[in-house]
Amino acid sequence: MASLRLLLAKPWIWSFIGALLVWLATIAFTGGYGGGGMITAALSLAVFTVIVGVGQMFVITLGPGNVDLSLPANIGLASAVAMKVMDGNDSMIVVGLLAALACGMAIGAANYLLIWALRIPPIIATLSASFIIQSIDISYGRGLQIKPPPGFASFTNWQILGIPVLAILTVLFSIGAAIALQRMIYGRSVLAIGQNIRAAWLAGVNVGRIRFLTYTLSGALGGLDGALLAGYFRGANVDIGNEYLLACIAVVVIGGTSVAGGKANVPGVWGAALFLVLLLTMLNTFGVSAGVRLLLTGLIIVGVITAAGGQKALR
Amino acid sequence: MKKILVLSALAAMLASGDALADTSDKKIAFSNNYAGNSWRQAMLNSYAIVTKKAVADGVVAAADIFTTADKEVPTQAAQVQNLILQGYDAIVINAASPDALNGAIKQACDAGIVVVSFDGIVTEPCAYRVVVDFKDMGRQEVEQMAKFHPEGGNLLEIRGLAGTSIDGTIHAGILEGVAAHPKFKIVGSVTGDWDQTTAQKAVATILPSLPEIVGVVDQGGDGYGAAQAFAAAGKPRPTIIMGNRQDELQWWKEQKDKDGYQTWSASIAPGVSSLAFWVAQQVLDGRTDVPHDLLVPYLAFTQDTFEAELPNIPKGGVASHEYTQEDAIAAIKANIK
Repeated sequence: MASLRLLLAKPWIWSFIGALLVWLATIAFTGGYGGGGMITAALSLAVFTVIVGVGQMFVITLGPGNVDLSLPANIGLASAVAMKVMDGNDSMIVVGLLAALACGMAIGAANYLLIWALRIPPIIATLSASFIIQSIDISYGRGLQIKPPPGFASFTNWQILGIPVLAILTVLFSIGAAIALQRMIYGRSVLAIGQNIRAAWLAGVNVGRIRFLTYTLSGALGGLDGALLAGYFRGANVDIGNEYLLACIAVVVIGGTSVAGGKANVPGVWGAALFLVLLLTMLNTFGVSAGVRLLLTGLIIVGVITAAGGQKALR
Repeated sequence: MKKILVLSALAAMLASGDALADTSDKKIAFSNNYAGNSWRQAMLNSYAIVTKKAVADGVVAAADIFTTADKEVPTQAAQVQNLILQGYDAIVINAASPDALNGAIKQACDAGIVVVSFDGIVTEPCAYRVVVDFKDMGRQEVEQMAKFHPEGGNLLEIRGLAGTSIDGTIHAGILEGVAAHPKFKIVGSVTGDWDQTTAQKAVATILPSLPEIVGVVDQGGDGYGAAQAFAAAGKPRPTIIMGNRQDELQWWKEQKDKDGYQTWSASIAPGVSSLAFWVAQQVLDGRTDVPHDLLVPYLAFTQDTFEAELPNIPKGGVASHEYTQEDAIAAIKANIK
């Protein structure tokens, strides 16, 4: 009982409860048919939101005003870079992944350069950067869908007993990110900056370096995500990252990370990403029209955030 | 002698019903609001091929392309106003919105400029609209499905961008088709936004809850994504209507080579931009009988024709067709009632 209360006190538990409820509602509708398939599909699709969500979580935790809006454009460009470097050739997979990572890191570093050197607020800096990135992508990719090598494509879709291998790897990565956040100097510094940037600076935290690292990390994760998305969805394209503009911020907030910064958790990103995919599953299964679906998605996200926020006020 | 020449020339003109004025000093601008996908790239490419030749042949003086980077209405409205000031005689436009640009379009008409919209059409009455017969395309999808599955069965429908006229029209066509073939039943409907990624994601979320599907009716650009979603879920491969994209036709060929897989492919040809150009040229040429709403056929490929087209489509691109002046004249004639 005590452990249950302890569990309910965790800010991230609400996103998992939400995901579970939505899943139960869906299989109640189908009479239990297809429940396992839904979990497999949810895991496969949630992975991509989790990867960028974790990057966005670190950025948002840096404190008010910090957000990376260049992730969708970053994902689009990195997907094209990865596919062009791989060029349909299985032996180039690793090189292509590294190229996508490097591309993402360069974008992240450029973002921070705009914020630091020109003193532009992060929202404006990353948004204007995304226009530049998108233009580069259009002239680089010429709007064509470039296909992944067969080995890479089947890797992104590889399942063991209905569980996508990519999801298992992403869980391992999330555990690493959680350790970095809670137990390593880097993560503690991010939290400290988010709580009070001046106090962190007075306490000897190298604020500039940590912020630089965080934006670069977010960029790198965006790049990695772009390559993986191009593999899973069988082709790079400019718009492949579009939906992650809202999704990567939504999973951070629904997952119980404070928008004001200084308070973060990794498991919530998973719960929220699963919740969003299962929500789409539920609304598609119920067969509601596109307009109603968007309306309900918006209302339910607002509802969950309010519920999670109310829980925080109680503590 | 001279009189006879003039008379015979006049007679020839009257007989053909066109070329009343000369367009060799006319300038036509193309206002485009987005270039970020393969369809738009093919659209620009077809337009460039046709207009470059038209300019070189002296049919028109200039045919310049102006693309705005975002899909925003205000940007394109400002662009149209600039084109008016720059003194173009005609504007071919793929509009960001059917009605929000009407103010700028009206200004252009009032300045004596011929406006021809296509794909993204404008509702302003003074403009011309080149519209593909999407309703028939939707109906044909079910007709073709009935050929492959005379016994009928369950269909999954993938819708396009919600709220657009194209999505509504194709959907209406599909419903008509299903009404004509009641053996078919649409058991699920998802939104694919004409985009492979969105379609794959949407189909993946609905598949686990669906009964066996014999066919997928869709709107183009979403067929390959649907095929991937069925494969990822380990479900049997249904008959998926394709949309002329290279990856879709390539997949079709692979399946056909494997086990004789059959389907049908149709979409609006991006080269319809070149048809809009010729319509503008015809109006500038002094033709007054051009209907403001022109319904033109879509581009379709069958089991027997798609393989021949495949090598012509750039990798990752979409099948296109460059229209000629004769095509435009024929299309105008077909629409005069």
